[in-house]
Amino acid sequence: MGLLTFSGGIHPYEGKELTMEKPIKEYLPKGDCVYPLNQHIGAPAVPVVKKGDRVLVGQKIAEASGFVSANIHSSISGTVKAIEPRLTSGGTKVTSIVVENDGQFEEVDFSENVMDLSTLYREDIKDIIKEAGIVGLGGAGFPANVKLSPKNEDDIDYIIVNGAECEPYLTSDYRRMMEEADKIILGLQICVNLFDNAKGIIAIEDNKPEAIKLLTEKLKDNDKITVNAIKTKYPQGAERQLIYANTGRYVNSKMLPADAGCIVHNVDTIHAIYEAVIEGKPLIKRVVTVTGDAIEKPCNLLVRIGTNLQELIAAAGGFKDGIMPEKIVVGGPMMGKAVYSLDVPSTKGVSALLCMSHDEVAALEPTNCIRCGRCVDVCPGRVVPSLLAKYAEHGDIDSFLKHDGMECCECGCCSYICPAKRHLTQTIAGTRKLILANKKK
Amino acid sequence: MENVFKISSSPHVRDKKTTTGIMLDVIIALLPAAIFGIVNFGFDALILMLTCIVSCVFFEWAAQTVLKRKTTIHDLSAVVTGLLLALNLSPEVPVWMAILGSAFAIIIVKQLFGGLGYNFMNPALGARCFLLISFAGQMTSFTYDGITTATPLAILKSGGTVNVSDMFFGNIAGTIGETSVICILAGAVYLVARKIIKLTIPLTYIGTFAVCIMIYALSAGRGFDLSYLAAHLCGGGLMLGAFFMATDYVTSPITPNGKIVFGVILGILTFLFRIYGGSAEGVSYAIIFSNLLVPLIERCTQPKAFGKGAELMAGEENSGKKSRMNVKSIVIATIAIFVITIIAGFALAYVHKITKQPIADANQKAKEAAYKEVYADADSFTVLDFDEAEAAEYLSGQGYKCDIEEIVIAKDKTGNAIGYVLVVNSHECYDGYMQLAMGVTNEGVTNGISFLSLSETAGLGMEADTDSFKSQFAGKKVETFEYTKQGASADNEIDALSGATITTDGVVNAVNAGLSYVNYLKGGN
Repeated sequence: MGLLTFSGGIHPYEGKELTMEKPIKEYLPKGDCVYPLNQHIGAPAVPVVKKGDRVLVGQKIAEASGFVSANIHSSISGTVKAIEPRLTSGGTKVTSIVVENDGQFEEVDFSENVMDLSTLYREDIKDIIKEAGIVGLGGAGFPANVKLSPKNEDDIDYIIVNGAECEPYLTSDYRRMMEEADKIILGLQICVNLFDNAKGIIAIEDNKPEAIKLLTEKLKDNDKITVNAIKTKYPQGAERQLIYANTGRYVNSKMLPADAGCIVHNVDTIHAIYEAVIEGKPLIKRVVTVTGDAIEKPCNLLVRIGTNLQELIAAAGGFKDGIMPEKIVVGGPMMGKAVYSLDVPSTKGVSALLCMSHDEVAALEPTNCIRCGRCVDVCPGRVVPSLLAKYAEHGDIDSFLKHDGMECCECGCCSYICPAKRHLTQTIAGTRKLILANKKK
Repeated sequence: MENVFKISSSPHVRDKKTTTGIMLDVIIALLPAAIFGIVNFGFDALILMLTCIVSCVFFEWAAQTVLKRKTTIHDLSAVVTGLLLALNLSPEVPVWMAILGSAFAIIIVKQLFGGLGYNFMNPALGARCFLLISFAGQMTSFTYDGITTATPLAILKSGGTVNVSDMFFGNIAGTIGETSVICILAGAVYLVARKIIKLTIPLTYIGTFAVCIMIYALSAGRGFDLSYLAAHLCGGGLMLGAFFMATDYVTSPITPNGKIVFGVILGILTFLFRIYGGSAEGVSYAIIFSNLLVPLIERCTQPKAFGKGAELMAGEENSGKKSRMNVKSIVIATIAIFVITIIAGFALAYVHKITKQPIADANQKAKEAAYKEVYADADSFTVLDFDEAEAAEYLSGQGYKCDIEEIVIAKDKTGNAIGYVLVVNSHECYDGYMQLAMGVTNEGVTNGISFLSLSETAGLGMEADTDSFKSQFAGKKVETFEYTKQGASADNEIDALSGATITTDGVVNAVNAGLSYVNYLKGGN
C-alpha cells in the first residue's frame, strides 16, 4: 500500500536542510514587544491594561471579546507604553499593545495555575486552554478551545496532530517533535481524553523519518494514538487534505472538520496545550524558523510573541554578507505573506521568517493561458483554477460560485505550477474575499 | 522609507517550467519525425519545413504588430505550428502553398481569435485542411522514390495490401512527418517523460479507433485481421495526430474526464471518416471537428470539487465514498455528445456518398471535353484497364519522370478503335506538378495536347497553355519531340517558350513519355 495522501499537489524545492538539524534556541527580546489585538480568527481582543501599567511575563493584557476570540498575554516584563495602531505582518495597521521591555523577564507565578489533572472536568481543561489564549499556531489562528468544543462531542472520532509541515523551508514543528516528543504526546492525550470516542493520530510527512521513528517508538504501547506517515507533497498539511489522507473523509467549505468527526491541531498548538494544562503557562512563546538563502545562520528560535522581526534576523546572524534580501516572507513560501518592512512584531501565527536574496516572482511576466491543465492536475480542491480565474477577472460571480470557486483553499499550487506564470491564486483569492465580504453584509 | 522589500501575493516560489520551455520540448520531440522526413523525402522536405517555420514566425510577428499586440514570437509557439504544418504537408507541395498555409494558420486561426490560447482549432491542422480543400490535387499527390503512388491507406481502401513493417519504419509515401511510426513514438516517449503530455488522449483515441476498426473488420468478413488493424494504426498520420495534435493544450479539454471523452470521440470520428468517408485519411478532419466540440465537452465534464456534497453525509458514511451528485447530468450530457458525434460523423461521411456521383459526373464531363479537345475525330471514349505500376516502371526505365494516370481508347462512329488519349502526370515543371491529356492515333500521330493542371509562372510558363504552343504538337508523326531556341525547322522540333525552358522541357518530356508508352503498348499487343 502506498503512503496516505490526497490527489493533486506539488513538489516544490524543500529547503528544509538549512535548518532541519538546528536545535531550538531560546531568544530573549531586547527591545519593546508589540501585541496586535487580532492575532487570531474572530473578534479582536479587548485590552485589560492601560498606558503606564507594569506587566509581568505571562500576565493577561487583553481579553477575548466573544466566543470566537482569544486572550493575549505579555511575553516580557515592563511598562505599557502605548495602545495604538501598529504595522503588522499582514500589511495593515492594527491596534496593538506596546510594552516597553525592562529586561527583567519577571514572571507571574505559573505554579498557581497548575492543577491536578485528575480533579479536572473536561470543561475545566477547555477553560484552561481558553484562558491561555491558545490559537491554531499553523497560521490560521483559530482559537483552540473553540475547535475542541464541537456541537456534538460524541461524533468526534479523531484528533489529528498536523506534523506534515508541508510548507517548504519550515522546520519549527519538526524540531518540536524531535526535542519535545513527550510533551506533544501528553498534549494530544489531554485532547483525546476530552472525547469519549476519539482516537489520536500524529500525521508526519515521510521526509521526516527521524520524527516518525521517534514518535512511533514512544507510542508503541499506546492504543489510542497512532503515528501516520503521509506522503511528502504540498499541501499535505492543509486541513481538508490532511483529514482526507488520514481518514478518507471529505470536508468542504460549508463544513468544519468536526462535521466529519475530526479535529486538527498543529504540533506547536498541541505543545501549547500541554504547557497550559500541565505547567500552567499561557501562550507567550513559539518556535520560528528563520531561514532563506539571504540569512547568515539559518536557525530555529524559540521566540517570545511580540518580538520585533528585526531582532530575529539579528539573532540568526543577520543577512548574509550584509546584503539586503529582495523579499522577506512571514511564513512559508507558498502561503506566507511578503512584508515591505521588518519593523513588525512576530505574532502567534508566525511560524517562519524566510529571507530570499532574489524575488523570482517579480521577474516573471504573466502570458496567455495555454490551457495546459497543469493547474487542474495539481489543485487539491479539484476545481479548475484557470476557469475560476477567468470568471474572477470578468467579475462573473455567478459562474465563479457555480464552478465551486469557494472550494479553493488558496494553497497556491496553481500559481506555482502555471507555465504561463499567471497569478491564478491571487485572482481567485481576491474574488473569494469579495464574495465573503458581501455575504457578511 | 529605508529597507523596502518587494511584496507580492503568495506563492513566492514558482515552478521552472515555462510556456517557452514546453514549446521547446515539443520541438525536440518532433525532431526524430522531422529528420526522418528529410532523410526519406530529401531536400524538398527541409525547404518546406524551413519555409513553414519562418513564415509562421513572420506572420505571427506581422499580425501582432498590425493588431497592436505585444510580440510573443519568443514563446516558440509559432515555430511549433510551422513545424507541425510542414510535417503535415506532402513533400511535393510548392513553397508558395506552404506560405499560404502558414498565413492561414497564424493569422486566421490563431491571431484573429486572440492569439496563443484562444485559437478554436489546431492552427497547423486548420491550415492543412484549408489547403486540402483548396488544392486537393497537390495536397494529395505523393511520390515515393520518384514514383507517384497512393498512400498505404488509399491502397488499403481500394482493396490492396500494404507492407506494415515499411509503415512502421516509415519507408512509404505520405506527408513529411507522418510516415515513420517509430520516430513519432520516440518523440512521444520524450514528451511523456518530460511530463508535457499525458497519455489519456492518445490512448483513448487509438484504443477507441482500434476497437472500431476490429468490429468493422469482423463485420466486413475480414475476420480477426491484425495486419489490417496494424496498417490502419500506422497509416494516415494517426500516430502523429494522436500524440502531437490531439494533445495540443489549447484545443483539447482541460478537464480530466473531458480528455477521455475527447479521445473516444476522436477515435469514432477517425474511424467513420476513414471507412465511410471520401478520402482514405480522416485524422485531420476528426481532430479539427473535435476541437470545435471542446467547449461543450468541458461543460459536461467539470470535475467534482473536493468534498462536494460531503456535508450531507455524516461520520463513517462520509469516508471514502463519492457522492452521486451530478453523475446523472454528466451521463446525459456525455451521451448527447456521442450522439452528436456519431450523427455528425455519418452525416459528413455520407455527404460524400451523396455528392460522389454528381462530382464524378462533372469530372467525367470535364475529362471528356479534354479528350475531345485532343482527339477531335473521336466519337466516344472507353477507359483502358492498364497496370499503372508497370507503366511507371517502364517510364522510369526509359528515363522519364512522368507517370500515366489514365488511358482511354478513342473510337469512331462505328466503334472502331482509332487511337488513344493519355493523361500524363509530370513533376518536372518549374512548379513541380503538371497534368496533361494527349491524343495519339493508332498510326502514332500526335493529335493534340491539353492541360488538365498547370500552375506555372504567369506570362512565362503559363504560355504553354496557349494554342500557338500546343498546336505545335498537333498532327505530327514523330517518335520524340525536342525543343529548340533557334526556331523550329524540323517536324519534331518545338519552339521553346521564352523564359520558360524548364516548362517547355517538362511538357515535351511528358508528351514523349506518352508517345513512348503508346509504342510500348502497341508493341506489347
